[in-house]
Amino acid sequence: MSENSPAITISGLNKWFGDYQALKDVDLDVAHGERIVVCGPSGSGKSTLIRCVNSLEAHDSGTITVDGIEMTDARAVEAIRAEVGMVFQQFNLFPHLTILQNLTLGPIKARKLPKAEAEARAMAYLERVRIPDQAHKRPAELSGGQQQRVAIARSLCMEPKIMLFDEPTSALDPEMISEVLDVIVDLAEDGMTMIVVTHEMGFARRAADRMVFMDQGQIIETGTPEQFFTAPKSKRCQRFLSQILQH
Amino acid sequence: MTLRTPLICLALIALAGCTSTSGNWGWYVIDPTTPAGYNNIRFLLNGFGATILLSIIAAALSMTLGLIVALPGMSANRWIRLPSRIYIEFVRAIPLLPMLFWVFYGLPVVLKSFGISVSIDAFWGAIITLAISDSAFTAEIYRSGIQSINKGQTEAARTVGLTYPQTMRYVILPQAIKRILPPLANQFIYIVKMSAFASVIGMQELTRRANELVVTEYRPLEIYTLLILEYLVLVLIISFFVRWLERKMGADESK
Ligand SMILES: Nc1ncnc2c1ncn2[C@@H]1O[C@H](COP(=O)(O)OP(=O)(O)OP(=O)(O)O)[C@@H](O)[C@H]1O
Ligand SMILES: [Mg+2]
Repeated sequence: MSENSPAITISGLNKWFGDYQALKDVDLDVAHGERIVVCGPSGSGKSTLIRCVNSLEAHDSGTITVDGIEMTDARAVEAIRAEVGMVFQQFNLFPHLTILQNLTLGPIKARKLPKAEAEARAMAYLERVRIPDQAHKRPAELSGGQQQRVAIARSLCMEPKIMLFDEPTSALDPEMISEVLDVIVDLAEDGMTMIVVTHEMGFARRAADRMVFMDQGQIIETGTPEQFFTAPKSKRCQRFLSQILQH
Repeated sequence: MTLRTPLICLALIALAGCTSTSGNWGWYVIDPTTPAGYNNIRFLLNGFGATILLSIIAAALSMTLGLIVALPGMSANRWIRLPSRIYIEFVRAIPLLPMLFWVFYGLPVVLKSFGISVSIDAFWGAIITLAISDSAFTAEIYRSGIQSINKGQTEAARTVGLTYPQTMRYVILPQAIKRILPPLANQFIYIVKMSAFASVIGMQELTRRANELVVTEYRPLEIYTLLILEYLVLVLIISFFVRWLERKMGADESK
């Protein structure tokens, strides 16, 4: 699609869980190559927002357009998912498969790539996340940090244009956080468009082009990390930052 | 452990019968050392083939039917879920014997009114009934096994482009199988026991043969005792297999 149209356009997005409104009139444009960090208190709708982008949650009203494809029907959802990779807090690796099989399942079954080609690609991405030697192990034999890096490599094997990260380091022991963040920074430096939900403010300063602060299902404030950390405009954002930066 | 007591009791009753002089017991009908007794035993044991074949085919059909019923039963859409729910509740509510009569005597009439002319013999009548009756239970076994797999697995599969059938085939079922196989095998015991009902529509399986022999020999106690022992042996073998399966699957789980 044309390079000057946004990678993601979200407008007037509303999402309900029963009679609880999880997203209220959310608007967000993400440019190609832009790195967005989303933060906000627990339950503010961060996960719901990014899960709507690849249709893991169906939204109730508003529009989502990804790389020029408007999310209208099942066909469009398939096309959008093909462009969007996702990394989960709990890794969600397939425990019954080896690392290599985790990486090649999508390319072989969904993209019909020949096995040898899929494996070559998988090994290339395992190199990239710095664990090629673990290819024949099962997920349970790896540390949390290694598992999350495998999950990132698994997404990359589908060659997405956009990556979504939902608190990729929240389930990790502190000493493993940086090995995962380094990989994400690496991707960011390569120009990958990404939305990262995280409370790692050091990472946000290093990698984000723009910060998005959410509370109670709404985007309260956006801005460059510079603005955001030094001069947050809203009261809620100031309070959130003071709480989070204490740790 | 728990089986030993009744087995000992059975053995004692049998022994008591052998030595009894009151004439209430007549083990001679199934005494393999006499030609008549030997023939009778052969006649009874020959029912094993039909009982086992009947049970295996019914179980295979039930497992297939159960999966077909279970999958839409897990849909997020309640209108897709509904037929599955209705089927399960409906089938579970019907006692086996009336269903057997309905299938054997009634179903051919229904089919005929649709222009399909088939006669259903006792063998297939029993198989269809057992399979349908059991499928409500196998469907629930599949459902609970599949739902025990974390939702994150489905989501991850979707994000790497797998379709719903691919997600089931390559991601969910290989993991759920450990939770599904032991109870399915257990359910096979139910089928074996319920297959005895096939005797009432004339299927020549274990129970039917025992009944026929009772009519000619008039020795119900001895013949039905042997019949119970026949089922006991069959079920104990399956139970043993189920325990083995449970241990194996459990061991895999903890890996
Ligand atoms: N499947 C669901 N059913 C019902 N309510 C849900 C569901 N998923 C999320 N919610 C509710 O929607 C709100 C937003 O949830 P969401 O997971 O998006 O928050 P979050 O900002 O990601 O929070 P956290 O930091 O805890 O991950 C919460 O109040 C949550 O309870
Ligand atoms: Mg969340």
